[in-house]
Amino acid sequence: MTANRKVAIICSKAGLDECYPALILANAARQSGIDAFVFFTFWGLDVITEEKVDHLHVNLAGNPASGMPTMLAGLPGMESLAGRMMRKQMTELSLPTVREMLQVLEEAGAELYGCELAMQMFKRKKEELVPQVKDVITAGDFYDLADGAQIIFT
Amino acid sequence: MTATTKTELAMIAERLDALTAQVARLAERPRQDDLYDELAPVLRVVMGSAIGRLDALERDGTLAFVRELGGVGQKVLANFSAADVRQLGDAVVTILETVRTLTQPDVMRVAADAGDAIQHADTAKPMGLFGMMRATKDDDVQRGMAVMMEVLRRIGHGVNAMAAKQQHADDKKAKLAEILGPKRQRKVLGTERAAPPKALPAAPVVKAAPPAPACAVPSKPGQVAAVIDGVAFTADGNLVDAAAWTRGLAAALADAERVALTDAHWAVLEAARADFAATGSSPNIRRLTQVAGVSTKDLYVLFPRAPGRTIAKIAGLPKPAGCL
Repeated sequence: MTANRKVAIICSKAGLDECYPALILANAARQSGIDAFVFFTFWGLDVITEEKVDHLHVNLAGNPASGMPTMLAGLPGMESLAGRMMRKQMTELSLPTVREMLQVLEEAGAELYGCELAMQMFKRKKEELVPQVKDVITAGDFYDLADGAQIIFT
Repeated sequence: MTATTKTELAMIAERLDALTAQVARLAERPRQDDLYDELAPVLRVVMGSAIGRLDALERDGTLAFVRELGGVGQKVLANFSAADVRQLGDAVVTILETVRTLTQPDVMRVAADAGDAIQHADTAKPMGLFGMMRATKDDDVQRGMAVMMEVLRRIGHGVNAMAAKQQHADDKKAKLAEILGPKRQRKVLGTERAAPPKALPAAPVVKAAPPAPACAVPSKPGQVAAVIDGVAFTADGNLVDAAAWTRGLAAALADAERVALTDAHWAVLEAARADFAATGSSPNIRRLTQVAGVSTKDLYVLFPRAPGRTIAKIAGLPKPAGCL
């Protein structure tokens, strides 16, 4: 067996569809015996913010794969509508919610970090983050942690 | 023509009428010699008036204008061939119709108004994209746009018709050339439109790859990679046949995975085997937390390295599929 394979995943976006890949990859890494940590920066900070995590939206505008014309996708309320629909569908498939995924990740031993600069930018305090977040770190700290890891940016 | 000229001409016409009447009366008279006596004063008046008229015309430049008109005619003759003039004659109705349409008072008024706007163009402010969008809110601008679009549409329609006609003629020529053979074909200089590229041969249909496994896929029996002590294993180290599993084998496998089996471990293994027997799917971690009633965290404590896979191996099940 290979010793201590590591992945460092950067989650920079908080669309419902945009944060799942990071969470799934981190979980799959842990399931495969790979050490994983996720660095939430910029909009990704919403994913680990207590009052936002259950209300992540899906942006269909400018996404040709969404099947919805951008003219319509840009209408007010469309993002939250799409987000609700996607959450409903995920519940039907009994897929875990983002909050559950964060819990699973913590239990699986993946480490979650917030970005200090993004925290300052969005004027967010550490108390406002979900309890699964291990720490708030800088980009430099990130590189220290990512030493020897494969880095994935989402 | 001035108003005075008009009245004078009318006067001349009146006098000529009177003269004609007098001549008619005189013609009925039997004595010819009286005719001149009667006619002379009348003719004198008429001639005097006519000469006076011509003099007046010369003075106000009308005759010069007529002479110049003749010059224009000469120029036309010099620059246009007989064929051109014939064509002009054919088109004269269309030309007159066009002129009539363009010179309708309403049309002229619109054109004059538009011309006025161009005359005062120096006072117009430069406009950007947003200015344009704002301007389109104006009712008049909207109407103007509609008119412009209609004009464009008709121009496009006409041009298309022209192109179709040309195409038709070209086709005829090509057919004729084909019939007459290559000798009659003239070299075409580069004004013709390039021939459209020939349609590419249809790409060979690629057989679609089987869909990637989604979360919770039924497990497939693995390929035999090795047989150890009469037990077949896959390349990943899972049992090929779950029925070949025994508790003794599990203990040996757990040793290989460096897991010391406790009752807690056994409970999870039993739950996994039971779930596989019921569903035919090797349970992944999420499924295990549900069927074994153990938290994810505890699973990672019991089987620290890749719990889902390790549990499947020790429980003699196929490698679990799915992402969760």
